[in-house]
Amino acid sequence: MGVVYVVTSGKGGVGKTTTTANIGAGLAKMGKQVAMLDTDIGLRNLDVVLGLENRIVYDVVDVVQGRCRLKQALIRDKRFENMYLLPAAQTKDKTAVSEAQMIELIKTLRPEFDYIIIDCPAGIEHGFKNAIAGADKAIVVTAPEVSAVRDADRIIGLLEAHGLSEPHLIINRIRPRMVESGDMMSVEDMLEILAVELLGIVPDDDSIVTSTNRGEPAVLDEFSRAGQAYRNITRRLCGEDVPLLDLSEKDGFFSRLKTLFAGR
Amino acid sequence: MSFSELLTRFFPKEEARIKPHGSKEIAKERLRLVLVQDRGNSIPDDMLLRLRSELIDVISRYMVIDETQLDMGFNKSEGEIALVASIPVVRIKQ
Amino acid sequence: MVITGETLTEDTALVARTLRSGQKVRSAGNVLVLGDVNPGAEIIAGGCVVVMGTLRGVVHAGAEGDETATVTALTLLPTQIRIASCITRPPDGQPTPDVYRPEVARLKNGEVVIEKYVVSK
Repeated sequence: MGVVYVVTSGKGGVGKTTTTANIGAGLAKMGKQVAMLDTDIGLRNLDVVLGLENRIVYDVVDVVQGRCRLKQALIRDKRFENMYLLPAAQTKDKTAVSEAQMIELIKTLRPEFDYIIIDCPAGIEHGFKNAIAGADKAIVVTAPEVSAVRDADRIIGLLEAHGLSEPHLIINRIRPRMVESGDMMSVEDMLEILAVELLGIVPDDDSIVTSTNRGEPAVLDEFSRAGQAYRNITRRLCGEDVPLLDLSEKDGFFSRLKTLFAGR
Repeated sequence: MSFSELLTRFFPKEEARIKPHGSKEIAKERLRLVLVQDRGNSIPDDMLLRLRSELIDVISRYMVIDETQLDMGFNKSEGEIALVASIPVVRIKQ
Repeated sequence: MVITGETLTEDTALVARTLRSGQKVRSAGNVLVLGDVNPGAEIIAGGCVVVMGTLRGVVHAGAEGDETATVTALTLLPTQIRIASCITRPPDGQPTPDVYRPEVARLKNGEVVIEKYVVSK
């Protein structure tokens, strides 16, 4: 029987979809049976991040409305035969799926997979409630910004109210140099405020942009720092004890230049 | 401007970099206030009731108070939130 | 959002605009688009589809089973093309060409083939 994780954040643009894609692909790479579910109806994106957009024939709304069978709508990944995507609908309204239908859907998926990862839409309305309805555990994604942390705090409260206590936290888009200069909140600062278990930290990395451009999750790129961070996260999800990524190790050109001059 | 000054400008010294006006402190402070307000808005009534009865217990050990006139609530003003209680004291216990 | 185009002729709908993500055109007959069809937009036509612009979205021609239906576009870069009950998509990792010319997709021996559009004299 599989475990169902919902990836949520409240605020948009902090990296829910990227996180879903990378965790899903990371788990698939470790040989797990993975299904990813895009619940952002009307604004789907997980298909694009995974590079599977041109394989979509049916979507989640077609499934719940009985226009096709679940197996027909599940898209098998082009890299891993043990990874599947159930895409959201793009041309329908976000109220097209109900909480009860979502729970039923997950019940059907659960015996077939080790992990089911749900990509939640931004906001706290209908789509959010649908996304968390069938989940066992929650992963909250946030970024070192006042607005993102505030929304994460609100989401953690709402998750608790819906019986999803003790969510895992991923802090995304960390810029080590800004943290070092006191211009960005550190991991410790944010943990102190949010007081939840940290699942991982992900540096702000250009490779996320290029991997999204290509439709190849960064977790599969062994040279990507963000990819390394996501590999660590997936290993932790599988129960391994992996130390946090050391963000300070890689210095840019300017830092090295500075060290050079400081030595004079 | 000398070359070393130019360098310091682009690469501030360590002590200058961990400056009190680093915007992270501003972020943390703003976040703290905003969260107190967010969380304050969602304080459940029964928590306030429990707090009220516990306060009465503690204060009653030291003084006699008029419980019927006790007034308690949150006072939100710009940038802060305060718990305000008005507790009429009848007499101090010896 | 489902868009019904204007009626051009008895069996052809005219859509004089660019179709954006989330927009959908449905017609029992042919569909003529004067504009682009962006990724995430969808056209479902009983007959043929002609796009006087760039086709990047999903098109289903001959949706009711007409295997002679075609899809024509000034620039054909679709997410997916379906003709009757056949579904096809561009092969993975194929670089986009530098020069674009009008192309037509049609069903030949149960497979969707794409050919340069030639004006028949």
